[in-house]
Amino acid sequence: MQTFKRNILAVPILVWIGLLVGIPLVFVFVLSFLSRDSLGNIIVQFTLENYQRVVDPIYLRVFLNSLLLALLTALVTLVIGYPVAYITANLEPKKRAFSIGLIMLPFWISSLLRTYGWMILLGNAGIINNVLLAIGVIDRPVPMMYKFSTTLIGTAYMLVPFMIVAIFNSVDKLDRSLLEASYDLGASKRQTFFNITLPLTIPGIAGGFTLVFIPALGLFYVSDLLGGGNTIFLGNLINTQVTRGRNRPLAAAFSIAMIIVALLVISLYSKVAKDDREGLFQ
Amino acid sequence: MRTQRFRLIVGILVVTIALGVILSTNQVVEAAGEVNLMTWGGDFIPRAIISEFEQETGIKVNYKEVTSNEDMQSLLEASPGQYDLAVVTDYMVDILRQNDMLAVLDKDQLPNYANINPVYHGAYYDPDDQYSIPYAISISFLLVNPGAVEALGADPITSYHDLWQEELANNVVLIDWSVEIMGLVLKSLGYEYNETDPAKVAEAREKLFALKPNIMRFETNTPEDSLVNGEAVAGFMYSNQAVKGVQSRPELAPVFPTEGMPIYIDSWVMSKDAPNKDGAYQFLNFIMRPEIAARIADLTKFTSPNKAAEEYLPEDFKNNPMLNLADEVVENTSFYIGVDRVMDEYEHIYLEFKLR
Repeated sequence: MQTFKRNILAVPILVWIGLLVGIPLVFVFVLSFLSRDSLGNIIVQFTLENYQRVVDPIYLRVFLNSLLLALLTALVTLVIGYPVAYITANLEPKKRAFSIGLIMLPFWISSLLRTYGWMILLGNAGIINNVLLAIGVIDRPVPMMYKFSTTLIGTAYMLVPFMIVAIFNSVDKLDRSLLEASYDLGASKRQTFFNITLPLTIPGIAGGFTLVFIPALGLFYVSDLLGGGNTIFLGNLINTQVTRGRNRPLAAAFSIAMIIVALLVISLYSKVAKDDREGLFQ
Repeated sequence: MRTQRFRLIVGILVVTIALGVILSTNQVVEAAGEVNLMTWGGDFIPRAIISEFEQETGIKVNYKEVTSNEDMQSLLEASPGQYDLAVVTDYMVDILRQNDMLAVLDKDQLPNYANINPVYHGAYYDPDDQYSIPYAISISFLLVNPGAVEALGADPITSYHDLWQEELANNVVLIDWSVEIMGLVLKSLGYEYNETDPAKVAEAREKLFALKPNIMRFETNTPEDSLVNGEAVAGFMYSNQAVKGVQSRPELAPVFPTEGMPIYIDSWVMSKDAPNKDGAYQFLNFIMRPEIAARIADLTKFTSPNKAAEEYLPEDFKNNPMLNLADEVVENTSFYIGVDRVMDEYEHIYLEFKLR
């Protein structure tokens, strides 16, 4: 009874999630098995054709493309995010609050606007090229836009705060006495980091990885704007099929496939973080 | 204490629900004096024109902004009694008509319909002109920077085919849409849009793949930017985008490809369950007045189908070949008919093309 009373506060959020996440999800699932007529109208007729098309080699390449982008994004954010999180966690309280504030600051501005900001920086007539031209380092603009790497810059930039915060929590909760013990026993800073700090913050890394990897699969506007539409990711594919492609059942099948990929990543994560109570979902 | 709080919450809930019910019934009562229209946002139906209509007639116009034809179709089919009017693109008129969502327009209530240029009558999407009234016309063509093309050592661009010149490597921007780009390639081969003949499609596929090295970027919303900032020397885009490009950089020039161009006619349609058909007719008649149609064209930078409006158009509009389309240009255009028949295949080819 006591637990019931304590859990009653969770009921509204469960109803909320059930209505606004659960029902649309069921709708998408059902939609993925339906057909369309020659006008693009959805008709209630069971088919597996949408899933057959998901495994078409060309679409599998789109999947691989997206997985590669998401993986690289997670790695880049890890390399950039870990030192930032580590240093921030070791700052004195005032500076630490300031640092976290700075990390969160970009969220105050629309992500679309920030993407356009990158276009202004990296374009042929952009700020970086203009400065380099003016000081004579280069004599013609270096093309930096509309490549896979430009998209990677965009997604990594967009998602790096999630990585930092996840690792920060992990470093913050680290038992300092373990580090002291390590130093007392004669370990160097380097040895302490690789033998104590890093293993103990792996749940944070895994959490950050999950938080970055999954959204990176769906940031279609970044590759449209920064990638110049020169390559295709899952998000673009679903977006095109829903709008101009007028094929919602196929888009639904892709969405379900994407959800399965995300679930796989989450289950991997929960394996890594199983024995630890500092994970994201505990 | 706990029960008090509970009562308070229940009280607030009851009041909110009651208020909601009262407000929504109120809306139904007022609907007699309202016209609900939906279409793309961004002042596609100029607010200034709408408020003039409201002042003149006392009818309130609610403008629902939607981002795509497909969204409009969903909204209209989900609640046909909620909207009076919509502006949709030609192919969507065809779909809505065949899905029995549209009212047959009573031309007796639309005396100003006589102002519509007969050139736009009897199009494939509405062969007997029963369901739609053309509102805004646009075409796609090439916007070119002739000086930059020459500087690259390429021949002047007069047709789609000229885009395949080796000298133009990484210098072309295109609208990002499979049907449109396959259409461009088919036209460059002398075929028609939405070709289904496997041999011709296969030929177009190979030619499309050959274009890849020349493409700098795919962009549907602001392709003209790439020509304005100089990162591309030629682009295939919609007329209103090309107009903006030339405004920002006057040395850019439109090229109407000799092989032919696509045309898009955004048209008014009325929901078959429109709650205020009288008001809707008044509105349609209002915007077909010559001087109003001329102002709409000038504000939106779309070509007007209103023949009588021509004399009211400002000089710069009248003298702009991209806005005041010459007859021989319009005669060289065609619609994308039967997109759903070819789209799956074209999308597949387009994906292969992009992943190369």
